[in-house]
Amino acid sequence: MFWNIYWKRILSSLRSKDMIIWTWAFPIMLSTLFYFTLTNLDEESLLKIIPVGIVTDAAFEQDTTFQTIIDTVSEPGEDQLFDLHRVDNAEQGDALLLQGEIDGYIQFKNKTPDFITKNDGLNQTIIKSFLDNYLQTKSSMEKLMTENPSALHQTASMFNREAFTKEISLTENPPTDTVNFFYALLAMVCMYGGFLGLKSVSMLQANLSPLGARRTMSPVKRFRLITCDLLGCITVHFACLLVIVSYIVFVLGISFGSKSGLVILTCLAGSLLGVSFGALVSISAKLKEAAKTAVLIVTTMICCFLSGLMFSGINYLIAQKAPALSWLNPAARIVDAFYCLYYYDTYDRYFLNIGILLLMSLVMFTMTAFFLRRQRYESI
Amino acid sequence: MIQVKNLVKRYGDLMALDHLNLNIQDGEIFGLLGPNGSGKTTAINCMLSLLKYDKGEITLFGKPMSPSNYESKEKIGVVLQNVAVFNELTVYENIDYFCGLYVPNIKQRRPLVEEAIEFTGLTDYRKFLPKKLSGGLLRRLNIACGIAHKPQLIFLDEPTVAVDPQSRNSILEGIRELNRQGSTIVYTSHYMEEVEQLCTRIMIMDNGKEIATGTKEELKSMIRTGDKLTVDLYELPSPLLSEIQSITGVLHTDYSDNCLTAWCASGGHQLIDILDLLRKNNIRFGRAFLEPPTLNDVFLEITGKQLRD
Repeated sequence: MFWNIYWKRILSSLRSKDMIIWTWAFPIMLSTLFYFTLTNLDEESLLKIIPVGIVTDAAFEQDTTFQTIIDTVSEPGEDQLFDLHRVDNAEQGDALLLQGEIDGYIQFKNKTPDFITKNDGLNQTIIKSFLDNYLQTKSSMEKLMTENPSALHQTASMFNREAFTKEISLTENPPTDTVNFFYALLAMVCMYGGFLGLKSVSMLQANLSPLGARRTMSPVKRFRLITCDLLGCITVHFACLLVIVSYIVFVLGISFGSKSGLVILTCLAGSLLGVSFGALVSISAKLKEAAKTAVLIVTTMICCFLSGLMFSGINYLIAQKAPALSWLNPAARIVDAFYCLYYYDTYDRYFLNIGILLLMSLVMFTMTAFFLRRQRYESI
Repeated sequence: MIQVKNLVKRYGDLMALDHLNLNIQDGEIFGLLGPNGSGKTTAINCMLSLLKYDKGEITLFGKPMSPSNYESKEKIGVVLQNVAVFNELTVYENIDYFCGLYVPNIKQRRPLVEEAIEFTGLTDYRKFLPKKLSGGLLRRLNIACGIAHKPQLIFLDEPTVAVDPQSRNSILEGIRELNRQGSTIVYTSHYMEEVEQLCTRIMIMDNGKEIATGTKEELKSMIRTGDKLTVDLYELPSPLLSEIQSITGVLHTDYSDNCLTAWCASGGHQLIDILDLLRKNNIRFGRAFLEPPTLNDVFLEITGKQLRD
């Protein structure tokens, strides 16, 4: 009995074009779109080498300390800050600036390096900060030499930016905005499991489909029918989620961290939640199937919007301003569960999320089974 | 097998079933006949406990019918008016699925499914998806899904709607065979010919009420109308039509499209009288034939309207 209902539900779900489009093809297409749109974001946020000009006039040639420092920060390598363009005079610097080849140039005025630019921006601020820092250090050195020449040997270390602290990452993996979009996308796919749950319960309601009437008339208890049906839906939907996660990880190269087993557990919890949610929408709303589908889509999109599918960071804003809404939003819990796996090396928050998802699924399934039990209709 | 007492079902102000009483015996093919909207499907849905009803009692197999009466449900097969199959499953998978709801053991189920496929003439279509089937074949699949588990009681709600004549005959013959094999049949239709051909007992319904119940012979004997005489005539003067109308036993007449129709009282012998009168007036006539009264005549006489309205 179980196998007959369960297996046929899997077969019919796998052969349904709507199901293939919305739970397989659409998310894969969207994830590919995200990949091409978002993967440059992280690279663009990295500091780029700043093109800067230097007027190599007599004043510059006299300041050997400045020459040494600017040559050091312009040496090719990981720490390269400037791409140095040497010019003979200010006119050549202005020309490069006009052509957009440099963000500004440095020229000595009264034995002091001065920065000339035409625009404001991050690069200009960095060059200006570099010069201010140099001038401040130089001034300190000169003062020290005047007041305490015996400490001259210590001045060399003043230009060394030795770090006395060690930089460690608070998170297991480096922070990135990109993965959040993929988490929200997976949350959406989990919620799309609702289509399967909704369809399945519609096919158990005599007032919604002839199939529902025929199945209602069978001697199988409604609880058993709905359980077998929803388990079939969850199996298909879970498999679909695994395919999408595999595509994102192995084809698009987006990392979900190293805890693969728990990623799979999150997919399973998300699938349970999505299917149960659709089942509850189907049983509780006294509407036609098309109207119920609309309710499901709107609810899913609102949940996904609030979990950061369209705007990164909105989930954090909701968590701060309306924490209850965040905790009750299943899509936000799924996103947070993936987030915990990627960033944290502890599991408390992760398992709290999974617990909430499982509890929500259980409540929704129980309500569905309760409403469906011995249901008779005013009209068919 | 089925007892319905004083069944009342309202949709707002509309009385869909008005104190309906019904008693169906084991082994019958019981027909519910009535125009669209007369309450046939509503009555069936109430009997199956799919619909809530306002008043009355329904007993199936000697037990009150309720959604949780699984013991009775095991013995019932349902073929609904709308085709109720999975569009994504093949013919075989669909029949196997529905049979499996009644017969869990796959070894016991397999021969039943095969038998249902053969019975409904779907052998060549077992791997077809429903969307690939014609309307008639789809109806046959609908029937196969409802009868594969060999139920004792089968409800067939307008199973021949939108079916070609060949498939219709095949379906009707199949229903007779099911009855011969021991199933009691409850059959609804608005096609009086079908019901007349098939059913051992008939209830005529209109506006949710029982109009009359009995065998077709009993129903026909309830009315004054007897045989209907039809004569092909090229012309018929109005005074002569009035004269025919005045013959004893002729209830009423009609002349249209070169055809004289005379409804005669049951047990009368007006054929000779009418033909003699035509000869005497030198009226040449073509075919002349008598038809026994139909269920439509019964419905017409009782309700004043055609069954086909």
